[in-house]
Amino acid sequence: MTTPLNYSYYPGCSLHASAGEYDLSTRELFKALKIGLTEVPDWFCCGATPAHNVDELLSLSLCAKNLELAEQVEGDLAVACAACFSRLKTAQHVLGESPVKRKQVEKALDAPLHLDGNVKHLLDILARDLGLERLAAAVNKPLTGLKVACYYGCLLTRPTDVTNLDCVEAPTIMERVIESAGATTVAWTHRLECCGANFTLSRPGVVIQLANAILDSAKAAGADCIMVGCPLCHGNLDIRQKEIEGVYNVEYNLPVFYLTQLVGLAVGLGPDKLGLDAMIVNPMPLLKEKNLS
Amino acid sequence: MKKKKMIISRETMDVDFVRKVEALSGTSVRRCFQCGKCSAGCPMATFMEHPPNRVVRLLQLGQWQRVLAGRSIWYCASCETCSTRCPNKVHLASIMDALRKLSWDLDGPSKESYVQLANKIFLDNIRIYGRQYEMRLAAVFNVKSGQFLKDMMLGPKLLSKGKLKMFHSKNKNMPEIEKIFARIEEMRRKGEAL
Repeated sequence: MTTPLNYSYYPGCSLHASAGEYDLSTRELFKALKIGLTEVPDWFCCGATPAHNVDELLSLSLCAKNLELAEQVEGDLAVACAACFSRLKTAQHVLGESPVKRKQVEKALDAPLHLDGNVKHLLDILARDLGLERLAAAVNKPLTGLKVACYYGCLLTRPTDVTNLDCVEAPTIMERVIESAGATTVAWTHRLECCGANFTLSRPGVVIQLANAILDSAKAAGADCIMVGCPLCHGNLDIRQKEIEGVYNVEYNLPVFYLTQLVGLAVGLGPDKLGLDAMIVNPMPLLKEKNLS
Repeated sequence: MKKKKMIISRETMDVDFVRKVEALSGTSVRRCFQCGKCSAGCPMATFMEHPPNRVVRLLQLGQWQRVLAGRSIWYCASCETCSTRCPNKVHLASIMDALRKLSWDLDGPSKESYVQLANKIFLDNIRIYGRQYEMRLAAVFNVKSGQFLKDMMLGPKLLSKGKLKMFHSKNKNMPEIEKIFARIEEMRRKGEAL
């Protein structure tokens, strides 16, 4: 008998809005895998890129506050969004190394800091805490024949001494997780390239150019779909895909799944529990063709 | 910019600025030996007038006004590729953060205003709502940047998919977030933090 897995859960702002299907599929997948997940009460925004862009002290303070709030719930902190994950880990790292910044943040919070809790991305929990063998054992509808391009983007692996998720230039954790669910992965060039992230608001032209290169590379490698672990990457590759196709006069038609959606399918969860209807590029024709729906 | 002659003298150098950047970023500006690896891997270099290695070189030469006046620092996506690959362990992504903060504090020396506007609305939202409110973020950005029709075609699609929420729930502990913002402002007024 293995010990039961229980986590506190920091969904982050996107999962309560544009990435609702990531939140839904995470909760349903964890329920199916019998992993406990309790949302941190009244968590705040982590500050994301805009905060550290112009005000590191604010960014560190917001993250430290969230780490303090997370202490109320037992278990390591599970984070779904790659940007929140990166910010929380960076705050732990920086505040652990710099006594000056630590003192400033203590003053901003007017409280001692709680920095010792483990912060883990969902991939880490699936691949290491649960383990690939137990994950594979839970699969009852293997994703046989589905060719997946695993897209890491920037913040899951970089910088390496902060996130400690996997090798920074040649990570394999996404591939290992989804292969355990029976899928085939493709080798492709752009799995670590930036999608333009939050330029989607201020300078969408940047995103269109960068995301096009990513979609083009995935298509060229023969992928049926892309798998991501970040709501910003998802937005740029899925929501903007039609627009990109128009600009470059190409057709990609590549559904972009969250990792929890694909793993959820493999453990037998239905489309309604995974929010597949919220995806802009409709995945249903592909899933029908592969006998997966 | 290309043909403009650059004059370097004791008067043009500003080592104090470099020290400030190093204090904020916790990394060394002076250690860079210009191998250019950061710029080679930078996904945003094509959008910048000074690629990342040149930004550092300009700092080393005391030419920080040129860096802050340009758009390069605002076109950095914080992807951290440069920091990861630097053979001299210069954390360039943190230097970019420090430069943006210093530019932000000077209030607008840069030509690039859209990215700064988006950042400002984002931070305002955190202070008002505790969390990000994407609908307001996009709406206020479009109004304030004068691009009323930007991404108009996406709106209805996102609404129908439940990806844009019309309303927003506030945190119950909102006074705490306000206190954090206020204490940071207080520390800066007293000169206890940069």
